Amino acid sequence: MSAAGSGVVAWSGPEAGAPIGVPLVDLLDRVLGTGVVISGDLVIAIAEVPLIRLSLHALLASVSERVPAPWSDGGPL
Amino acid sequence: MPGLPRTTPGRSADQPCSDVASALWVFAVCHAGAFAELPSGAGHPEGGPVTLLRLDDLLSAVVQDVPSSRFSEEVLKQRLADPGELESCARTHHRTVTAAAEHGPVVPLPLATLFNGEARARAALCARLPHFHAALTRVRGREEWAVKVSLRQTGTASAPSAPQDAPGGQAGAGRAYLTRVRGRERERVARHEQAVAAAARVHRAASALAVESVQRRPHSPQITGKDRLQLMNAAYLVDRGRALDLATVLQRAGADAASADVEVEVSGPWVPYSFTEPVEAPDDSPERAGSRT
Repeated sequence: MSAAGSGVVAWSGPEAGAPIGVPLVDLLDRVLGTGVVISGDLVIAIAEVPLIRLSLHALLASVSERVPAPWSDGGPL
Repeated sequence: MPGLPRTTPGRSADQPCSDVASALWVFAVCHAGAFAELPSGAGHPEGGPVTLLRLDDLLSAVVQDVPSSRFSEEVLKQRLADPGELESCARTHHRTVTAAAEHGPVVPLPLATLFNGEARARAALCARLPHFHAALTRVRGREEWAVKVSLRQTGTASAPSAPQDAPGGQAGAGRAYLTRVRGRERERVARHEQAVAAAARVHRAASALAVESVQRRPHSPQITGKDRLQLMNAAYLVDRGRALDLATVLQRAGADAASADVEVEVSGPWVPYSFTEPVEAPDDSPERAGSRT
């Protein structure tokens, strides 16, 4: 994984990577934290699930811990 | 039944919601007719086949009937509160979205987007049709690559222990202590600045090959471990044909950064999870990007 080690690791698809290849933290980060939020009758209020709330807190550095953005070109997007 | 091919190509637009004992899990939105049914390995093991629910002439949702006994709000809340169940649900969702993406562009929906039947799902999804059309165009032929940059922390990062037997009366020992503290603090700041500059170089190198990028919020030391400080947690939307170029460039940038104890981790290709939200106004600065949860 590291640059000092084997360099870039390309995860090459669900078959190759699903069981262990996808770092769980990156996966949760994505399936919980992104996407179009559709309001619906049975949409689980996911942030109210204790473990998920805990996970999100653990996953993401709090605002106070955040380091200055490493880009100087006004940032992405 | 899972495994049995369905003869009908997906669901028709007017199929009634008949089974009250089931809920509808929506994985993603894709082009209508992208596929009829995913192979039986896709979807939740407790549910039916993963099929398409037609939304309009051009778009369908990737859906699965799942039993309410396992997927009611109450039950699912309990299940997702279990680390093993959360992981398996997340991986199932991801595996299914990824399988659907083999048939064309997809807009993934967040984990546990569930509806009481097709009519409710269609109503909710159709309210966002223009957005889904735009999002599919945005990600077509592209994939997401994740790049994380961390600084390996060394022992010097921790504060030196205070002099044991100088409770304040010995000015000399106190000054020496302060000097040591300041020296280490200067060293720490310098290392940090050097690492931030390395992360910026990685970002510039990746951005040059990417169509878009998003800065996600860095992971906390609880995840990375105390010995590593994550400086950047970015996602890049890249044309499929440029993945190799990106890998090459990032490998070089990573090798350059390694001397400064900076680690570059790359993973991908991901289904473009980070690039399907509505494009926001120009105030979507790095400070805000990635902080939406």
